[in-house]
Amino acid sequence: MQPVPPQIASITRPVDRLMTYYVLTAGATFVAFPVTLVVLYFRYHTMRYEFSNEGIRMSWGLLFRNEVVLNYARIQDIHLRSNAVERALGLARIEIQTASGSSSSVMTLEGLVDHDRMRDFLYSRMRGATAAKHDSEAGLAGVLHEVAQELRAVRVALEKRA
Amino acid sequence: MSQYLLRLLRVPPEPSAPDGSSESIRIFRAGRNYYRWRVVVWAMTRLAGILGGIVALAFIPFIPGTPAWVRPITIGVEVLAIAALAAALPFSFMLQRLNYELRWYIVTDRSLRIRSGIWSVEEITMTFANIQDLRIAAGPLQGWLGLADLEVRSAGGGGAAGPHGETGTSHQARFEGVDNAEEIRDLIVERLRQYRDAGIGDAPAINMAGASAELLAEARALRAAVS
Repeated sequence: MQPVPPQIASITRPVDRLMTYYVLTAGATFVAFPVTLVVLYFRYHTMRYEFSNEGIRMSWGLLFRNEVVLNYARIQDIHLRSNAVERALGLARIEIQTASGSSSSVMTLEGLVDHDRMRDFLYSRMRGATAAKHDSEAGLAGVLHEVAQELRAVRVALEKRA
Repeated sequence: MSQYLLRLLRVPPEPSAPDGSSESIRIFRAGRNYYRWRVVVWAMTRLAGILGGIVALAFIPFIPGTPAWVRPITIGVEVLAIAALAAALPFSFMLQRLNYELRWYIVTDRSLRIRSGIWSVEEITMTFANIQDLRIAAGPLQGWLGLADLEVRSAGGGGAAGPHGETGTSHQARFEGVDNAEEIRDLIVERLRQYRDAGIGDAPAINMAGASAELLAEARALRAAVS
């Protein structure tokens, strides 16, 4: 288990710009503005990240609490999405999918300082990004088989000499 | 003009390739006819929108029971909507061209990355170890233009399958509007062979115990032969 780079392990909170984006998002709902703003305000202020060696823990919500724990090795696809408003603010969403039965993403990382670096980090930890351990086992079985054949050849040579 | 628009919308430049050996990187682009296809689809949807608006406008005076003061407001709103749709035409037409130009389908020996979109930019990264199935689909117009969509799916559910088998799920990556779908499919299938444990199924068992037993038997036989 490789350790997580310090600049990623130190992330616990989204950046302030995310709240700016939330205010704009709430503004786009016109009549529902006050309600949406309150919901997003609490979402922003209760959002916590934890990047450990095994996986990600993300929690948000005050009245309706949510906490998602996810192993890096279970990540299936990573979507990096951004609309023009988010890009103007330097933001992007990283939507993470596992093999679960829902079509929406399991976890959406928002408000990260360097989303490209985070995406590359997650990619380096997801299944299949590095050569599979499986192949080394197959290689070992092959080597054992070759050693057995060498021994056989030695025995045959000995028996011929005798 | 389009350069200015790209700067205004902060559209990021060409995506970087995901990890993998550098000589294995292949970058595919949407087929030449994909732009034509987009323009036809765009023209049909816009035409339908504007015609729908005009038909609705023609029916407004015949709706029974509406107070007299509501009528001018409804007509005003309707005319505004049609005008907005018409005014946005050059803008959305330009987006079709940009959408065609700013598409990258990158395949390495371990994974694939797909970048698309102008207003909403999306980059999907998927490793081959997670791929479950590949699917090529083409509608009549696409077929006529020599185009097809290659869909690469990973495990997991999503929306119900539509009439043509398309799903509203994010468990997939689409090589949209390529003119060499078979070639890309064959390339991915060939690279998938290196992953015997692709998908979420069990890997074929490796007979480690058998290999060890074989070695032990040989070692014993050798000792017997020497002593």
